[in-house]
Amino acid sequence: MIKGNRVLLACVYWAFVLYVFVPLLLMVLMGFKDSKFIGFPIRSWTLDWYTGVFADAEVLSTFGYSIAIAILSTLISVIVGTWIAVLLEGKKFWGRAAIFGLTLLPALIPGIISAIAFRIYARLLGIEPGMGAIIWAHAVHNVPFVVLVVMARLSTLPNSQIEAARDLGADPFIAFLRVTLPYLVPAILGASIFCLLLSFDDFVRSFFLGGYDPTLPVLIFAMLRSGMSPEINAIATVALVLTAAIGIWAERYTRRANRNT
Amino acid sequence: MTDQAVTGGTPGDDRSDRTAWGRIAAWAPYRAFMGAVTASPRRQFLILAAFPVLWVLTQHLGPMIQMVRVSLTDAYPVAPGVEQSFTLDNYLRFFGDPIFWQPFFRTLIFAATFTFCTLILTYPVAYFLARHVSPKNRMLMLLLLLIPFWVGEIVRTYAIMILLGNTGAVNLVLQWVGLIDRPIPFMYTSFSMGVGIVYLTALYMLLPLYSALEKLPQSLGDAAADLGAGAWTRFRRITLPLTIEGISSGCTLVFLISTGFYATPVLLGGPSTTVFSETIAGFFHVAGDQWPTGAAFATIMFLAALLLTGAFQAVMRSLRKGDVR
Repeated sequence: MIKGNRVLLACVYWAFVLYVFVPLLLMVLMGFKDSKFIGFPIRSWTLDWYTGVFADAEVLSTFGYSIAIAILSTLISVIVGTWIAVLLEGKKFWGRAAIFGLTLLPALIPGIISAIAFRIYARLLGIEPGMGAIIWAHAVHNVPFVVLVVMARLSTLPNSQIEAARDLGADPFIAFLRVTLPYLVPAILGASIFCLLLSFDDFVRSFFLGGYDPTLPVLIFAMLRSGMSPEINAIATVALVLTAAIGIWAERYTRRANRNT
Repeated sequence: MTDQAVTGGTPGDDRSDRTAWGRIAAWAPYRAFMGAVTASPRRQFLILAAFPVLWVLTQHLGPMIQMVRVSLTDAYPVAPGVEQSFTLDNYLRFFGDPIFWQPFFRTLIFAATFTFCTLILTYPVAYFLARHVSPKNRMLMLLLLLIPFWVGEIVRTYAIMILLGNTGAVNLVLQWVGLIDRPIPFMYTSFSMGVGIVYLTALYMLLPLYSALEKLPQSLGDAAADLGAGAWTRFRRITLPLTIEGISSGCTLVFLISTGFYATPVLLGGPSTTVFSETIAGFFHVAGDQWPTGAAFATIMFLAALLLTGAFQAVMRSLRKGDVR
């Protein structure tokens, strides 16, 4: 009876694995189809779509644009998020719950509403739609994730280490730089990768705050609206390989870092 | 520094064998600055707190407040020389036309349905991982599920388009098996939209469920089994009530996320499945300035989502209390 349950549940698990992998595998396969027409069956294969992608200056510059936005917004998110985490973790003060709630707010607002609110606020702040606006929106949106990850790590830092540093004459700032910050490095790196991927994959904020240059998801969206083509599959596959590789590497890295300390 | 250290810096007040950090700490302007900052614990705390508080107020709360403010104005941005006045017209407009409130209710119904489907789909998966897999394999099998979720929203939506198209894999397989003669038009329906949104949100349900199930001690189920409870009774009376927290937070998260999708309904849905995010976006695309109406609609949507998830969490909490008693 229990064994039967177990087999059934295992089947459900592997069915779920198929559900999450098969669509992506099919999409990758379709990028090698030697025909402009998207659909099965695939009779002959080609690499032309990939050579086309790497020869297309517009697509390449879009990749660069998206990566630049991801890196710059992540830098802001990580600095701000770490600062907020240091303020919130393990301290009791009036209004702490309110600050914590407000910190998480951007992560809880549904995508379209967040994009609209940022678009309106950007006009108030005088930020023109374009790279700066996207970086700003991504940075604000990703701060909560950094705060949560860094707070979790910070809560495991023994207080005695800071006290030892202070006893040896370090002022609070130097104690932070030399004790707390090195201890937080794995969390900060993990959070950075997460922010990079969130920013690189984000569509709705980039779409509403972008200028004339599209980010990669916006470009794929625009191409899809004018019809499916294996060229899109090739671009999407390159993006997929890039994000999945970074994600897997980060997962392994954070697990190893957690095991070592 | 090394030169001085070698040629005989004497230990004492003007030590020259300091590290770089020591020299920074001993640098007079830095000491004066730190002395001022740390003069009292109160001042030190204020300096630490000032930036984060300012940030969350202006960057996290600010956009929402400005959105609500714009939603109450008659025109935005204000043309020079025109008096801006406050009005509720933008909100009244919502109730006046079914073209506005139909997508709104459709969005809520869709989001609730898709959330429920995600729950039904991922609960057995989370249960299997947490209860039937050895801890060593557990992380590996969970990681396997995480990989596709690193891939972006648009790419995964496109993957669903290829899967469900008229010449897509599903139709191909069904025809090959002989179940159907001609392709079923899955695309541009609420079905294709549901498949896509469940695909995008499954992880946000799976992780809270998994962590709730993992915390559940095996001994409770064993004890119940000893007392003669069958598998279904054990699930209904023990597993389900004790994982209500995970169910509640997973459903809240997935509901909020599914109400906010824009690209996925545009790409996977059709004219009969217009959701509210498309309605809202429309006010920001058209040439004429409709921002206040768009802001009002976004506010309505946000309030509705908050109210519904709040009510849902309250119900789940009372369910949990009722079961403990």
